[in-house]
Amino acid sequence: MTHAIEVRNLTFVYPDGTLALKGVDLVIDEGEFAAFIGQNGSGKTTLSKNIAGLLKPTEGEVLLFGRSTKEMRIRELATSVGYVFQNPDHQIFNMTVYDEIAFGPRNLLLSEDEVRERVEEAARIVGLKEEYMEESPFFLPKGLRQRVAIASILALRPKVIIVDEPTTGQDWKQSIEIMDFLKHLNGLGHTIIIVTHEMEIVARYAERTVVMAEGRKLLDGPTNKVFAEAETLRKAFVKPPQPTRAAHALSHYGLRPDVLSVDELVTEIIRLKASGAGDNYLAQRSLGGR
Amino acid sequence: MGAVAEPAIKVEDLWWKYEGRKDWALKGVNLTIERGEFVGIVGPNESGKTTLVMAMNGLIPNNYRGVMKGRVVSVGMDTREHTTAEIARRVGFVFSDPESQFLTMTVEEELAFGLENMGLPVEEIRDRIRWAMEITRLDEEFLEKPPYELSGGQKQRVAIAAVLAMKPDVIILDEPTSMLDPIGKSEVFDVLVQLRRSYNATIIVVEHRLEDIAYLADKMILLYYGEVLRVAPPREFFDNIPFLLKHYVYPPEIMIAVHRLREEGLYDGPIPLRFEEGVKIIEEVLRA
Ligand SMILES: Nc1ncnc2c1ncn2[C@@H]1O[C@H](COP(=O)(O)OP(=O)(O)OP(=O)(O)O)[C@@H](O)[C@H]1O
Ligand SMILES: Nc1ncnc2c1ncn2[C@@H]1O[C@H](COP(=O)(O)OP(=O)(O)OP(=O)(O)O)[C@@H](O)[C@H]1O
Ligand SMILES: [Mg+2]
Ligand SMILES: [Mg+2]
Repeated sequence: MTHAIEVRNLTFVYPDGTLALKGVDLVIDEGEFAAFIGQNGSGKTTLSKNIAGLLKPTEGEVLLFGRSTKEMRIRELATSVGYVFQNPDHQIFNMTVYDEIAFGPRNLLLSEDEVRERVEEAARIVGLKEEYMEESPFFLPKGLRQRVAIASILALRPKVIIVDEPTTGQDWKQSIEIMDFLKHLNGLGHTIIIVTHEMEIVARYAERTVVMAEGRKLLDGPTNKVFAEAETLRKAFVKPPQPTRAAHALSHYGLRPDVLSVDELVTEIIRLKASGAGDNYLAQRSLGGR
Repeated sequence: MGAVAEPAIKVEDLWWKYEGRKDWALKGVNLTIERGEFVGIVGPNESGKTTLVMAMNGLIPNNYRGVMKGRVVSVGMDTREHTTAEIARRVGFVFSDPESQFLTMTVEEELAFGLENMGLPVEEIRDRIRWAMEITRLDEEFLEKPPYELSGGQKQRVAIAAVLAMKPDVIILDEPTSMLDPIGKSEVFDVLVQLRRSYNATIIVVEHRLEDIAYLADKMILLYYGEVLRVAPPREFFDNIPFLLKHYVYPPEIMIAVHRLREEGLYDGPIPLRFEEGVKIIEEVLRA
């Protein structure tokens, strides 16, 4: 079976000699929702850009649906994978929202009718109202600018979508809206990768988490398993979300240590109270101790 | 503290409307921030947080077009009567987008820029750069690099280091840690606390994520679409979780968890400001 993404022994060196990735192997299948997390400078953005074909491996290779990014033409790349920049303001450059979203499809040399159809579809999916189409993207609020950036990638209908720090600078409501919408795209069959430092977001949305440290993959697995590795995570300058840390700290009371959310934590506490597990713990301690 | 000490920042009935906008971005804001205070400003997107802090260092009204009413006095200077450069010497400002702050071609120049403008001796400049890089955990090997060839979080560290190196009386930071890794975020807040301790710096931080600021701030301010809705010490500020959620402010999850336990009738004490405090509360609930 061909994988959506297969990264083989990827090494990447920037022109100034910075060795940013040191032999990364990674497989992501179609329909997954994954998060890349880890220390500043650990190589998350570099890895994402290599997957998106914006950077080409110095050594090793990246296969998208079985084809090496080195062999793919821009058109094929653009329809396989889209990358939304860490700061969408660095991606936005057209004078109107419409032109911004239409830029990609026009580069695919589609007819203006097809372009319009693509723009309208992408705008509808991200929830950008018609009234914004002739506005300048630069003056839109942060949350809407992020949506324009995502819409301009969606208009290319890529199978894989990578969003670098989708919720940075967003308040919680906007964060949830953007993430719910990525989840919606995932439901439509898109493979989604987010890069983020917000562990509550990872806990809520990503089924799988890849932890980067110093240009290498440090951990890779289901999110609850990864977050249970508190000691290893510390090396990558990551702290699991608070509910996970709390459950971990109190696991000797019988709290499941792989809790991810407030809901799960509170449910666990109530379950334990109902079953009287706290009392059991005390009883055990006084038996074994003193 | 002396009773006559002049506040670090005084904002009096401040109104501001950007040119070309129908609505006022700030609608009659009144605030006093004392010297040596650590203040957190929170509120949803578009609430005017950036606008308010830009008014505190004179960027508004001096570098933006718009209509201003009311008055802002920063470290004794009425912002309308002093240039941004004069104010900037005493009031440092870390921008939320680090790249909009960069002026030079290497990290070293970036860090030296403000210090040279202050006319400091070369030795002192070198010491301060080394110190600022150390506290923001920037590697020495970055000195020769152009700042825009760094990772997002590394850029943000340079932006913070450049301002801290100047040791300004008032340090304003607009979402300074949004791109930092989780441990890096906490480290920056620890550094801010140290600076306050070492030279009584006044610290004003705009933030969306409140895990670190909750237990460090003396005072939290909720700005909601141009209006100050609430000013309170963290203990009071975070005690009303539904009020915060209703205004799109998301408190640290340990607070939400304890709030739920309170609703369930399993706990009736205060909301914890620190994570460790929250864990202790849950432990007591489990043992009760
Ligand atoms: N254009 C560039 N030229 C040279 N080196 C670079 C460039 N961009 C990034 N680097 C370096 O490559 C390494 C990896 O950077 P990358 O941007 O991939 O990190 P990241 O994990 O995305 O970090 P962050 O969380 O801070 O965004 C860092 O050491 C960085 O300084
Ligand atoms: N340069 C500008 N020109 C015109 N309007 C602006 C400008 N900057 C901000 N505004 C508007 O002023 C209002 C307040 O914006 P501001 O950036 O101060 O909010 P904020 O609380 O910092 O939001 P965020 O959390 O998104 O950073 C918003 O309606 C915004 O659109
Ligand atoms: Mg990055
Ligand atoms: Mg702002």
